[in-house]
Amino acid sequence: MQNKRFSPFVSSKNSIGKVMLDVIIALLPLCAFAFYTYRIWFLIVLGSALGGAILTEILFSGILLKKWRGILDGSAIITVLLLVFTISPLTPWYVAAFGGSCAVLFGKILWGGVGKNKFNPALVGREFMTVFFPLVMSSGDIWSTKRIRYVYEVEWFDFIPNAHWAEFLNELFFVPTGALGEYSAVFLLLGGIYLIFRRRISWHIPAFLLVSFLSFLWIFEDQNLNYSLGGILLGGIFMATDMPSSPSSPTGKSYYGLMIGLVAGLCIQFGAGFEYMSYSILILNGFSTKINQVFMPRTWGTKTDWPKKIEEVFLLTLSVLTVTFAVLSLHYYGYIPYLIYIYIIYIIFKFNFSFSKKLHQPI
Amino acid sequence: MMQIPSLKYKTKKQPIAELKDASVYRIPLQSYRSTLQPLVKIGDQILQYQVLAEDVEHQFAAKIHSPVSGKVIAIDEHYISLENDFQQQKITTKIIESQQLDLERFVQVLKDFGIAGIGGAEFPTNIKYKVKESNVKSLLINGIECEPYLTSDYAVMRHETEKLLKTIAVLNQIFQPEEIVIGIEKQHKELKKHFEKSFKNHPNLAVRIHLLPNEYPQGGELQFIKSVTHKEIPKGSIPANFGYLVSNVGTILAIYEALFNGIPTTERVITISGNAVNTIGNYRVKIGTPIRHILKELNIDAEGVDIVLGGPMMGKEVVDLDSPIKKGSGGLLLFKKQQKSIENCIECGYCVDVCPQHLMPMQFVKGHQEDQNLLSQFNLDHCIECGACEYICPSNLPLMQSIVLGKVELQKMMYAK
Ligand code: SF4
Ligand code: SF4
Repeated sequence: MQNKRFSPFVSSKNSIGKVMLDVIIALLPLCAFAFYTYRIWFLIVLGSALGGAILTEILFSGILLKKWRGILDGSAIITVLLLVFTISPLTPWYVAAFGGSCAVLFGKILWGGVGKNKFNPALVGREFMTVFFPLVMSSGDIWSTKRIRYVYEVEWFDFIPNAHWAEFLNELFFVPTGALGEYSAVFLLLGGIYLIFRRRISWHIPAFLLVSFLSFLWIFEDQNLNYSLGGILLGGIFMATDMPSSPSSPTGKSYYGLMIGLVAGLCIQFGAGFEYMSYSILILNGFSTKINQVFMPRTWGTKTDWPKKIEEVFLLTLSVLTVTFAVLSLHYYGYIPYLIYIYIIYIIFKFNFSFSKKLHQPI
Repeated sequence: MMQIPSLKYKTKKQPIAELKDASVYRIPLQSYRSTLQPLVKIGDQILQYQVLAEDVEHQFAAKIHSPVSGKVIAIDEHYISLENDFQQQKITTKIIESQQLDLERFVQVLKDFGIAGIGGAEFPTNIKYKVKESNVKSLLINGIECEPYLTSDYAVMRHETEKLLKTIAVLNQIFQPEEIVIGIEKQHKELKKHFEKSFKNHPNLAVRIHLLPNEYPQGGELQFIKSVTHKEIPKGSIPANFGYLVSNVGTILAIYEALFNGIPTTERVITISGNAVNTIGNYRVKIGTPIRHILKELNIDAEGVDIVLGGPMMGKEVVDLDSPIKKGSGGLLLFKKQQKSIENCIECGYCVDVCPQHLMPMQFVKGHQEDQNLLSQFNLDHCIECGACEYICPSNLPLMQSIVLGKVELQKMMYAK
């Protein structure tokens, strides 16, 4: 007998491919800016990261796991783009290729494929690069990119008589410093608005993240805090909203955004250097499942048990802060690499004994 | 909640067409959550409108009557099969003057005439209306046919307006509600004017038309009550206990037939539609009409298409073409077969966004698959099985399968405890 069919008998035209395509569309203007500023340098970094990622997909997803279909769903391209957007145009090609490959392998494939990862693959890839190429990645040299720049500033708004305004607007549209995806605050925002409009992300995460991060800066009023607006926008709009590694309910997303902003502030305050965005997002990624439980939407017709909920949120916040300070201490003493080694052992172990058996399950 | 495109805009313009009678009828014995016991034997001569089966034991499903006169030719656990003699010899019924109707008599009429919720679940209306008269705050008439493709309720509101209002007047006299509201989807707002014209014939009746967004599942009973009254009542409770009497327009029409013509529920209006059929429209058919007969009469070729009884979101797949139209079947839909490939859940949260019960549907797939504790932790028992989550899912996860089977597992776990 034929299997029983379940309703519904119609379905929306949504597909993973369409979701991914929208994210890529939102990221394209940023690519254009990166290319505009660094031309061939950008292409080398992007090309090698993409090459590393695709080779890894073919080798592992395709040949070893026989899941060919997933390779073309676009998720690897997004991972690579996001990864490239967080690094310098001077990153050597082999480091970029290594990063792209690790992002896909340790960030996605070993978790069981697209959608099953608990951490943002691009940031995982980035951490791998930092840990395995510490000299390259954290040398000051890699960020002195002036000599290879093709464009130093734009004069698009110089027609405005007020010089301050003109400069402000010029810089809003284009500042060629920092990582490859951070040059245009306006287009980062526009990409976010596009994704919100297309319902590929919800406004909660970026909005709450920005609010809490900016309030943190405002409260501590430290002029020496070293952060980039582009970095925050890239992180808040494109990284923290990675679907599998972020919570699903509106309240959960709001809390998650708030906490990332707070943790990012703490990371800057306590000397995590360039890593503040990666650390804060990865730490909160780790709490996504728990946040989904604590911030489960209120079921229709039921009442919220407030005292219990408040206690849960309090404990959750306490654990997030504990983990943050643990990570910051590890960072201070230079022990982050061990965290990554543990991650590698954990994920390979898990894949072997659990995830690989569930490859055919959709969740 | 969300909007779903369909062919409603086409079928709603169609009048209610009649179908030629079939020579054999198959009267369904399953209704609501119960099975009816046959009151006739094979070989019995049957009159039109005679009671055929009843839930003698539990009284938890509406009685069913014969749509035609003829002979009982077979009885099995699911159906009583009748052979139509085309004589239309009717049983005589007594019509109670509406002035004499009090609540008790009225509920008895509902019971005797097999009135059940026509919106899908076939919940016996007499149970629904068993209330203290003084307690009725609102009489809510549900004209929100949120299932895509279906326009049978629309057709009833459009073409049987006077009958609906007459019945509502009787209900008003019996229950004396504080307000009477008819809910209609915004996409059918022309019905508002249409109703308001007919209100002139009923100057003593104060009815408010409430337009609601074209969203699925706006017509779900709980969602409908909340949209109109702002009261959120939990799943599983009886609306009447909160002072709300809610009925589908089709049910009101069935009550009309019982009260004014003495005819039990033996026919209903259905919509025939879908992307695999040309003769789309609204048809009046007898309960028990085999689907095969309808397809033949309308020259529909059902080879290689998906046939659905009911709406596309909550209906059932038709496996056996001899299975019949039931009281709760609002439509007969034919769709071209489509291949859906299941991908990984990407945790996009779309299912969470659309769930009218504010659940996290993807957890049920995980729960059904490996960790049954998730089923109760994420309140699976509050799911109304509307299918919205699976409709929106970009990865085509088998959400409904997990939900339906998961509920069975949940029941088993409860028993075990
Ligand atoms: S809609 Fe589908 S893919 Fe998205 S979270 Fe729900 S089950 Fe997963
Ligand atoms: S979980 Fe149940 S109530 Fe929620 S959308 Fe899915 S079927 Fe509807």
